This record gives sequence, C-alpha cells and structure tokens, in this order.
Amino acid sequence: MTTHSDSSSTTDPPGDRVIELRLPSRLGYEKVAMDTASSLAKRMGFTQDRVDALRTAVSEAVTNAIEHGNDEQVAMKVFVLLMARGGELIVSVADQGLQVLSEERTLFAPKIEDALAGPERGGWGIWLIRELVDEVEFTTAPSGGNQVRMVIHLEQ
Amino acid sequence: MNSTSEHSFAISIELSLPSELGYEKVARDAIGAFARRIGFANERVEDLKTALSEACINAIEHGNQQAPGLRVSITCSYFDECLAIVIADQGKRPFAKPTHSATISEKIQGLANARGMGLSLIAGLVDEAGFIDHGGSEGNLFRMAIRKHPADIATGERAPIMD
Repeated sequence: MTTHSDSSSTTDPPGDRVIELRLPSRLGYEKVAMDTASSLAKRMGFTQDRVDALRTAVSEAVTNAIEHGNDEQVAMKVFVLLMARGGELIVSVADQGLQVLSEERTLFAPKIEDALAGPERGGWGIWLIRELVDEVEFTTAPSGGNQVRMVIHLEQ
Repeated sequence: MNSTSEHSFAISIELSLPSELGYEKVARDAIGAFARRIGFANERVEDLKTALSEACINAIEHGNQQAPGLRVSITCSYFDECLAIVIADQGKRPFAKPTHSATISEKIQGLANARGMGLSLIAGLVDEAGFIDHGGSEGNLFRMAIRKHPADIATGERAPIMD
C-alpha cells in the first residue's frame, strides 16, 4: 500500500470487505483508526453502544501499538486491517515489534485495589479490550510485530 | 499541543478501500479525523471531506468502472501547513478530459447530463486539484492539496483544476 501502483495488493475474499490503514506512531492518531472503525461498523448496522465499545477497544489497541510496540517512534507504522465478514467485524492492529508483548501481559487481570494503592495506574488496556469485544487474540504479525485481532458480532 | 512544531516533517497515513459505492464515507471519516488531528478548522475539514467524497466516487465509478474486487488507495501527507491527498484507482478507464464542460444552466434545462460536476466542485473546495500524468498505465492518480489556512482569504478565489 506504500505506492499508488500496488493498490491491487489487497484482494477482498468473496463476500468480505477489507479496509487497510497505516498510521504514524504518534499519540492522537489512534483517533483516525477509531473513526475509520466506527464508520465501517455503522455501515454494517452495529448499534451505537457497540460502535462506542469498538471505538474504545480500537483506541486501546492502537495506543498500545504506538506506546509499547513501536516505542512512540513516529516513523514506525501501525497497521490496522478491518474486515467486514457477514455478521462480524474483524479488526487487526499490528505494530513493528520494538517491544515484544509478553503472553503474561496479555493475560493480566488488574485489580482496582492494587491500581489505587500503587504508583502505576496503567495496564488496563488489554483487560478493557477483552471486556469490550467478543473475541480477542494476541499473535505475532507476519512482519514480526505484535498483533491483536478483535472481533465483534452483529447479533449481540 | 503545538501542531506547528509537532509537524516540522511530513507525516502521513495510507488507506485502502474496496471500490464500492458507500465506502467513500469510510474515507471521509478516516481522512476527516486525520485533518482534525493535525489542526484543521472544522470548515476546512468539511470542505476536504466533500472533495474527497467526490474524488473517491470518481475513482469507483469511472476509473474502476465499479468492477468488483478492485481497490481505491488514498495517501495523505501533511507538511508545511499543507495536506496533500492522492487518490489512486486501478484504471480500467483512464480519465478523459471532457471536450465541453456543461454549465449548471444547461444541466437544469436538461440540455446536459445532470451529473458530472464533481471536478468543478472539488476545485471550489480545495487549493489545488488535478490528475497526475504518470503515463496512465497503472490507473488514475488524482491529487488534491488543501492548506490549513486558505490562501484565498484576500481574493475570494481558488485555484483552478489543473489538467
């Protein structure tokens, strides 16, 4: 997608509709991903509360990619792939893997008491994503970076 | 946040969409969010979104001939207070400049196709617009540029379409 001539690099599987987005690793640009995801979700017929949940989940995933995976190096890209497939919307967010997300961190379940007692207030993003979408999977992207795949279903 | 010092170098995003009517709205929302993020005023953002819609519809309907499976790609780069956007189709039909541009009166009177005002509309909304001549073998490239602060405040004029 980096050149104009390779706009055929993505071919939609039959019935699927794919949107690709590449963003700079700078905080604030997660809003572009949020608005893109919500636009597609509305087009698919998701209710406003589901759209809002998706926006928050996408925001957390892209913010993690910018802050951690790409270490806020603006030249590093965040890759967002949105796929409308029947009654589900699949969103994959991948970074370039400057910091590797450990499996332990993807399973971390923070406690509000600990968060209030300690100096560290972060670490809620992955937990929040799990609460907001129907399916979450953490993998390694083909490029070697961290990748989170989130799915929301239309009927819920 | 000081957006001037923040963007002392080019910052860009890329978007690729199915070539299907309706997806221009996704492009509007994505690029509108980008323009807001880099500090464009709401009025400029709305102008940009309208111009982008027209350019995407042109790419889908004309360049790609609404053929299934094709894509529309959009690249946005912001540098020196100017946002440049290139919309690429896969060129099933190269852009051909019309031999006669019908007036609104002719359209209202039914003497010309009611549609076909997209390029004129775009020219009225952004600071620069036109097809990029690149040999035409790999699809049409349409470029628009919009400055954060309009250059036409004093004159009330906008740049014409460049062919």
